[in-house]
Amino acid sequence: MDIASQNEACLRLPENLTVRAIVPMREDILKFIDAHEAAKIELSDEVQVDISFIQMVEAARVYAGTAGKVITLAQPASGALLETLRRSGFLEGMSDDDAKFWLHQGKIQ
Amino acid sequence: MSFPDPIAVFRTEAAELLEQIEAGLLDLNVNLGDKDQVDAVFRGLHTLKGSGAMFGFEALAAFTHHCETAFDRVRKGEVPATHALVTAVLEAKDHMRALVETPAGDHEAVSEVLLANLRHAVDGSGDQAASSVSAAPAKTLFKIRFSLPQNAMANGTNPLPLLDELRDLGTCRIVADRSGIPALDELVPTDLHVSWDVELLTDQPRSAIDDVFIFVMDDMELAVEEIAVAAQMPTVAAPAPVATAASVAAEPVASATSTAAAAPAAPAPGDAKAAKANENVRVPAEKLDELMDRVGELVIAQSRLSQLAGGSGDLTLRAVSEDVERLSGELRDTMMVLRMVPVTHLFSRFRRLVHDLANETGKRIELVTEGETTEVDKSVIERLADPLVHLVRNSCDHGLETPEDRLAAGKTEAGHIHLSARQQAGEVIITIKDDGRGINKERVRAKAESSGLIAANASLTDQELYQLIFQPGFSTASQVTNLSGRGVGMDVVKRTIDALRGTINVVSRPGEGSEISLAIPLTLAIIDGLLVRVGNGRYVIPLSAVEECLELSIEEDMRSRGRSFISLRDSLVPFLRLRDLFRTNTTPDPFQKVVVISTGSERVGLVVDQIIGDHQTVIKGMSKLHHDVATFSGATILGDGDVALILDVGHLVAEGQQQEAHLRAAG
Repeated sequence: MDIASQNEACLRLPENLTVRAIVPMREDILKFIDAHEAAKIELSDEVQVDISFIQMVEAARVYAGTAGKVITLAQPASGALLETLRRSGFLEGMSDDDAKFWLHQGKIQ
Repeated sequence: MSFPDPIAVFRTEAAELLEQIEAGLLDLNVNLGDKDQVDAVFRGLHTLKGSGAMFGFEALAAFTHHCETAFDRVRKGEVPATHALVTAVLEAKDHMRALVETPAGDHEAVSEVLLANLRHAVDGSGDQAASSVSAAPAKTLFKIRFSLPQNAMANGTNPLPLLDELRDLGTCRIVADRSGIPALDELVPTDLHVSWDVELLTDQPRSAIDDVFIFVMDDMELAVEEIAVAAQMPTVAAPAPVATAASVAAEPVASATSTAAAAPAAPAPGDAKAAKANENVRVPAEKLDELMDRVGELVIAQSRLSQLAGGSGDLTLRAVSEDVERLSGELRDTMMVLRMVPVTHLFSRFRRLVHDLANETGKRIELVTEGETTEVDKSVIERLADPLVHLVRNSCDHGLETPEDRLAAGKTEAGHIHLSARQQAGEVIITIKDDGRGINKERVRAKAESSGLIAANASLTDQELYQLIFQPGFSTASQVTNLSGRGVGMDVVKRTIDALRGTINVVSRPGEGSEISLAIPLTLAIIDGLLVRVGNGRYVIPLSAVEECLELSIEEDMRSRGRSFISLRDSLVPFLRLRDLFRTNTTPDPFQKVVVISTGSERVGLVVDQIIGDHQTVIKGMSKLHHDVATFSGATILGDGDVALILDVGHLVAEGQQQEAHLRAAG
């Protein structure tokens, strides 16, 4: 994991973001949100994800919203992440806020 | 606390699924029109494929998919079920087992051959299939809401393949409901908080939806509402998803429906079984063995406590000791029940064996099983499998005649193998009976004489003669086949049954068939024993074999010298003086006892110095040095720490009967 400087406030996550490796991510993201007003999450191009990661990001959005913080994705969902969003039914019936968060204004890259 | 490895759990469940698939295929082979069996096999294949994919067994999932597709076509009436298809899928099932056990192995070549066979079996019925294709079924709109168990992901269930399977059923719109996801600081990352709402337009029945979830059905919440039956594909607007996601959204489905009656969730065909399975707890066998060892140690400790209490005048100690004795006895009995499994698991594998043997030999063979609910200690069951395979193979290959020979002999064209189990006095009797040609006594004798097993013209009873077939290398088959005839196998039967402290009895009638009965102790772990003293040593006689105990007066003892018979209710029973047998070199007690033991109809008396009483006996194996000592089947540790040997009843009865035969022969 590579935490960038305080100014950038970007958390780079490892490639494996499946249920087998998800547990330590919770603590890392939680600390990161607590430490920054605006937290940006950056994913590897080769990222492996499953529903556990999507669920964690959604939980992070809830947490950040309650704490008055902002959380964003460094890049709009693409590749494996977009495919997982599609297969898991997260793309269907997305609200504007969701589309803005995951797809950056609904534009699938 | 340790959690079971999900992969190991999958392997166990896959093995059970494969057994169910095999049983379904064999039943279907008997009645090709049995739609229930077609559905059962399809469901099994479907579940295996789905769960295989979930657990990362991609090759298994891909291979099984082809078989599932074949059975789906049968299910839909596109192709008929045929014997060729059943055989092809049975062979494929064996390959699936290999894909489960060694997923990383090189299976590609075998897969291709088996799939070619499968295609041939399916395509071979193509013409018939064309005529049996029915009109395209009407489509139904289902509204589905489901949530998987919260621990589904932790247990290795990936929801994505399930959602993909729903999509495969027809036109589908899946919306994740994220309202259950907590804030990150409250999230357990491996728990699943997402549920789903699905609209599915499909020509598949409701049961197809249940099939998707069959692997997790027990613990999940599933509500299915049948909205409409549409003759044609409805054309309605999509419910405004994110515009650019339209490429991944499914074809839109009807929102206007004519009949909105909520259909109660119809129970899936496997539900009753699933509910029953839910009442059980799966426990690894080694945990049971560990528990059994602990119970064994407890029984020994209890025995020691009883001895101490018995020698003490402390009434409180005696009362406590009696309580502990009662509780440990109950614990032992409960433990024994836990270890018991019905022989149905053992017998079921022979259906496939007989099916394959019939194909290989060109014979028509019908297997009849009886007494499948008879329960035997699991370790006994495990060790009985190989001997029974040899015996069934032998019956099919040597015992049963060809259809032509049978018809010529006035028999039915199909030969019968009858496999049965029953309990009898602490033993399980497993019988393999065929209605074939019977054992040719003359050929057995000739073979035994020529190989030097017996002297020429030796006087042998039929039973003694038949026992020769269990000698190593003994075979009367003129031809060696793939199945038998090499003389290897029947000696394995004998060795295994001996090791189980069992006996083999053979009955054969020329032209009518043979019957081989295996008598095996119900358990190998703990027995109720009768503790006796012979000279200065103490010995245990399995209580299940004890018929009665008598006193042998000095006069009677003197009278019987040289004859060793006692008169017991008008019949003469031979007896063995254990003091002589064990060469104790001690003076006999003035009032010796005779313990009459039996195996089936044969009885023998054992003369001992003293009957001490009953004793819960934890059986310990003999050391390698004493492996060949036939008189004892094991040893046990007594309460005072001494070792008592356990008498091998079968051996002693045989010895007594032999002695009787010699005495009778001597006149």
